[in-house]
Amino acid sequence: MTATIRPEKILRELDELWVSLGKQENGETSTGVLRACAMTLLVATEGTHDEADVGETLASLMRDHPSRAIVLRLLDGAAPDLKARVLAQCWMPFGSRQQICCEQIEIGMTEPSLADVPPVLWSLTAPDLPVAMWCRSRRLLALPRFAPLVGLASKIIIDSAGVADLGDQLGLINTIRIQGPRVGDLAWTRLTRWRESIAQIFDNPVYLARLSALDHVRVGWEGEHVPMSALYLSAWINHCLGRNVPASFHREGSCERARVQSVALTGDNLNVSITVGQDRAMELHAGVRDAHSVFPSLTDYQLLREELSILGRDAIYESVLALVPQSAQSLETPL
Amino acid sequence: MAAANPFQDQARFQRRVKPCALVIFGANGDLTKRKLIPALYQLALERRLPPGFAVIGNSRTHISDDEFREKMRQSVQKYLEDSRFEEEVWRDFASGLSYVSGDLNDPVCYQTIASRLGELDRERQFGGNVLFYLSTQPSHYGAAIGGLGAAGLANGGGWRRLVVEKPFGHDIASSRMLHDTLHKAFREDQVYRIDHYLGKETVQNILAFRFGNGIFEPLWNRRYISHIQITAAESIGVEGRGAYYQEAGALRDMIQNHLLQIMATIAMEPPAVFESAAVRDERAKLLRSIRVMKADDVATHAVSGQYGPANVGGQELAGFRGEPGVDPEAQTDTYAAVTFFVDNWRWAGVPFYIRSGKRMPKRVTDIAIQFNSAPHALFTGDTHDSAPWARPNLLILRVQPEEGISLRFLSKHPGSGMRLRPVSMDFKYGSSFGVRSPSAYETLLVDALMGDATLYTRQDMVEASWQVVQPILDFWAGRKFDFPNYAAGSWGPKESDDMLALRGHAWRTP
Repeated sequence: MTATIRPEKILRELDELWVSLGKQENGETSTGVLRACAMTLLVATEGTHDEADVGETLASLMRDHPSRAIVLRLLDGAAPDLKARVLAQCWMPFGSRQQICCEQIEIGMTEPSLADVPPVLWSLTAPDLPVAMWCRSRRLLALPRFAPLVGLASKIIIDSAGVADLGDQLGLINTIRIQGPRVGDLAWTRLTRWRESIAQIFDNPVYLARLSALDHVRVGWEGEHVPMSALYLSAWINHCLGRNVPASFHREGSCERARVQSVALTGDNLNVSITVGQDRAMELHAGVRDAHSVFPSLTDYQLLREELSILGRDAIYESVLALVPQSAQSLETPL
Repeated sequence: MAAANPFQDQARFQRRVKPCALVIFGANGDLTKRKLIPALYQLALERRLPPGFAVIGNSRTHISDDEFREKMRQSVQKYLEDSRFEEEVWRDFASGLSYVSGDLNDPVCYQTIASRLGELDRERQFGGNVLFYLSTQPSHYGAAIGGLGAAGLANGGGWRRLVVEKPFGHDIASSRMLHDTLHKAFREDQVYRIDHYLGKETVQNILAFRFGNGIFEPLWNRRYISHIQITAAESIGVEGRGAYYQEAGALRDMIQNHLLQIMATIAMEPPAVFESAAVRDERAKLLRSIRVMKADDVATHAVSGQYGPANVGGQELAGFRGEPGVDPEAQTDTYAAVTFFVDNWRWAGVPFYIRSGKRMPKRVTDIAIQFNSAPHALFTGDTHDSAPWARPNLLILRVQPEEGISLRFLSKHPGSGMRLRPVSMDFKYGSSFGVRSPSAYETLLVDALMGDATLYTRQDMVEASWQVVQPILDFWAGRKFDFPNYAAGSWGPKESDDMLALRGHAWRTP
């Protein structure tokens, strides 16, 4: 099999792109283009339906994590086929006279050409910088020919929201981890605000002193099936307390994507709960005190921004992953 | 020792404040409206304040709790930067706001505050932890501190801390008096002297840049550095603060505190650990190493200036003496430039040029580290527009407005021949980290509420700073200057350029 794209050509096109951008910006009022790159971000996806969404997310993300973005798009086709194009994501920071640009490479590939992609990527990843992959397709991750691409990244970011078979999903996560990369799950990232709010309640020594009495965790969710995030939340509480607190999971509504809706921690003289309404207004109840805030729905950009800022080991998430099967035992159908 | 919260996740959670309350004296003033309350709201928006957080405002004006909340709401809506106003978050935050009117000289005022704190603590459970914030005129500090002490508020069930805004005196003697007053009621570890410059992200980044990287510190000494320039220029004039400013001047208002703190951060030795006491010890040590000028040296090491009227871009700008509330014969320095030397092994013989002025061409604060030229001029045949060996390597740490770091070095101009051209390698905060940088007051308020004094100044630092500017103040007080000596919209008086020219240096144009 022979790749139909040559990395040297792509790199040359990138160079030409920078020269051309520099010339465009070389007017009297401009101070040129600033090239920014702090990592290589691989985006693995299927089909063309999400081109606009991915483009928009990357454009926003470049401001926080300037990267060489390489979008790997699996296209239909029985014949080996690879094609590539280069473009730049540029923006002008407010009040600045200098445009900042990041490079983006789009690679279209069919399933038979997957084996040709790793050598191309070895040339295209930015030298001496970390490589992260945002994988939007579960099918790609399951393909044996995709495995060498997984090994290129030090972190693979997936999203377990919307996955019905949680046992299968845990298996997939473990398979990735065996191959070497660390895993980030946007379903876990969505819990940061929940976890932070719970932590905040127990900053108060009065509640902290009652924590040993915690004997039940109730997680409310909405959607068609129990979301992974509900199990993560229960497992995280067990991890933090170093013991298994009985948990129950309750469906509280329906929505397209399953998500956590409420959490209650109860025990003798302890009654703490957080509930998010349909308008994403958050109500926190702790003893005699109530507090209100907003949990706006987070976009992929906001979630990735957080996840890409932790490229090293996320020890807490790794411990939680190990405890998820235990938390799932109280489900009607354990994993 | 209190048990640790097991739910902590330092990799992902923001630093949070534990249960406490804040009492602001001078709650009707500009600082509260423009900075403190918007900063606190921003912290609430980011869920960094604890549930049950309470703020008590105090001033002499009689207003109700609801009126105070409404005023603060308007301030937040007007002065909040880079964030949205969330009604739900405000409602929750505002439920913790209350107001106690009273005169700082009246003991009843403190009893009322004590009683309100007690009620709120029962209701909101902040464990008696209270931060007092003096946002009043400095002339009221004594009354407030005495009142807090007499009412027993300086000590309580939880921790008690006090934030004091500058100026910390107007000379050495008055700074010592303030210190004595503070210590009548509070221990030194309870006192947080705020210098908002130290709360700026880019000033904190100086520490990260110097001590987080291995490549710059070996060059950070007299062997490789020719001189250092610190510039804090403002394009505006005194903006209605003429009466205050004519008593202060640029040397007292900027150099004695903000710029000497920046200089200390640039020049201090690495602390053994990144802990409040260790960092502050090193800063203090550096400030004590600055050579104190003799009266004879002041004329050649310090320049005083005052702006005169000018027409800038078609706009007529008044001179300082023409500003409202300013004495037409005022001898105030609206510009000050000083050459300092640090008497230690690292910096012996390296001039630190510091300047600050009002009505300069633009608003900019930066630090320029001018490295020595290459020891041997290999490319002297160069015929480029100006000789490159006359422009040694320059590292610029930009504090505001375009926060970032630039390194200038020479590069070969493409083509035949060895023509060199200076090029710049840029790091910009805005492009490398798209996230919003917290304001200095957000950072400093969180630090004080968490008991982290790293970015606050200490009495020994305050005294050391006064020690080095006092001879200049004394010398200037005995002279009558021929002011104005620079036009509004210019980079200061000619004497300032002459001061650098004495050592073969010149001010950069930021």
